[in-house]
Amino acid sequence: MRKILLVVILGLGVAAASSLSRYSNPVAADSSQTTAVFDSDGKMKLPVGYRRWVFIGAPLTPNALNNGKANFPEYHHVYVEQKNLDAYLKTGAFPEGTVIVKELTRVLNPTFPDGSRTEPSGRGYFNGEYNGMDVTVKDSKRFAATNGWGFFNFGHHPLPYAESAKEASAAECASCHIAFVAKTDMTWVQFYPILRDGDKTK
Amino acid sequence: MTYLIRLAIVTLLMAATAVSPQSGDKGPVFTNDGSLVLPSGFRSWVFIGGPITPNGLNDGGAPFPEFHSVYIERENLRYYQKNGKFPEGTVLVKELSLAQVGEHPDGSLDSASGRGYFPSTLNGLDVMVKDSKRYSKTNDWGFFTFGHHAEPYESAAKESAQCAYCHIANVAKTDMVWVQYYPLLKSKID
Repeated sequence: MRKILLVVILGLGVAAASSLSRYSNPVAADSSQTTAVFDSDGKMKLPVGYRRWVFIGAPLTPNALNNGKANFPEYHHVYVEQKNLDAYLKTGAFPEGTVIVKELTRVLNPTFPDGSRTEPSGRGYFNGEYNGMDVTVKDSKRFAATNGWGFFNFGHHPLPYAESAKEASAAECASCHIAFVAKTDMTWVQFYPILRDGDKTK
Repeated sequence: MTYLIRLAIVTLLMAATAVSPQSGDKGPVFTNDGSLVLPSGFRSWVFIGGPITPNGLNDGGAPFPEFHSVYIERENLRYYQKNGKFPEGTVLVKELSLAQVGEHPDGSLDSASGRGYFPSTLNGLDVMVKDSKRYSKTNDWGFFTFGHHAEPYESAAKESAQCAYCHIANVAKTDMVWVQYYPLLKSKID
């Protein structure tokens, strides 16, 4: 009886502690789960809920600094799920099933030739309307030919984006990632402070 | 038997104190002298936008160097989208990061994806808290800076007198927030 009570009490304590400290103790990623959904043709369905994932950085390639037409116009907001970020920070690699979303936005009403404008906080660039979405999915079997990652483009235009997307050709996306960032799990970690330096607030 | 009850109490107390109070998860936390405790966990909140004011376009010294990544808790974002104002207790976090130093005079960098600005190191934290009683003098919002420098940031910050006037002059009508820069605040999307 005593033993059972002891086990129950300790169990309750552990459960309470883990529920209270969910922000300070990242859970290990479950590599069997992915938010990537594919239809019978192998097309990927548009991810949902990604704006609630962890934002890791926003490179900006303004059209005005790229001969009027950036490859990715113009802000690149990049999101990854918490469990996959935690796994990356722990191991240096993303788990199978990881989905990384890059959502584009235009810059807000340019007034200078370089696309910038002046606001009370200074001269610079400010987010305009949403302008498209690109996604990478890690699946070492499905995407073995492109270093374990598949690339999908849901359109570079305002909302709504395409409902589904077929895998982009290697020439469109993977070739550049293979050429430049094959050693960092195909991801441009140098542009994302959290991936590069870790999350010191946790 | 008594020792088991005692053990139960101790175990539950330990569990309850496993997390020390930090601003954010359940609204702002203040020290006894009214300073705001550094928020935590905000990088898991909803990111609403990232203006950038590069030093290279601001005579070498932007007031907020250089990327401004702005975060809000989801429930407060939903409330704003529905009501056009933020609920009491809302915390808005603006985390700065420097841009990688490029070869162009404006500070921009040539990268594989094009010429532009790319984040380098995190560079500071500013916070707004909505509390209509505590901050009635500054249109219901208190302003705090935890430093404009690399981590670690200050662990607590006194209310800053320098910030409110610019918000009052420019964005008093939109609950003191520059909603025009944040597409998620302007739309009803999830």
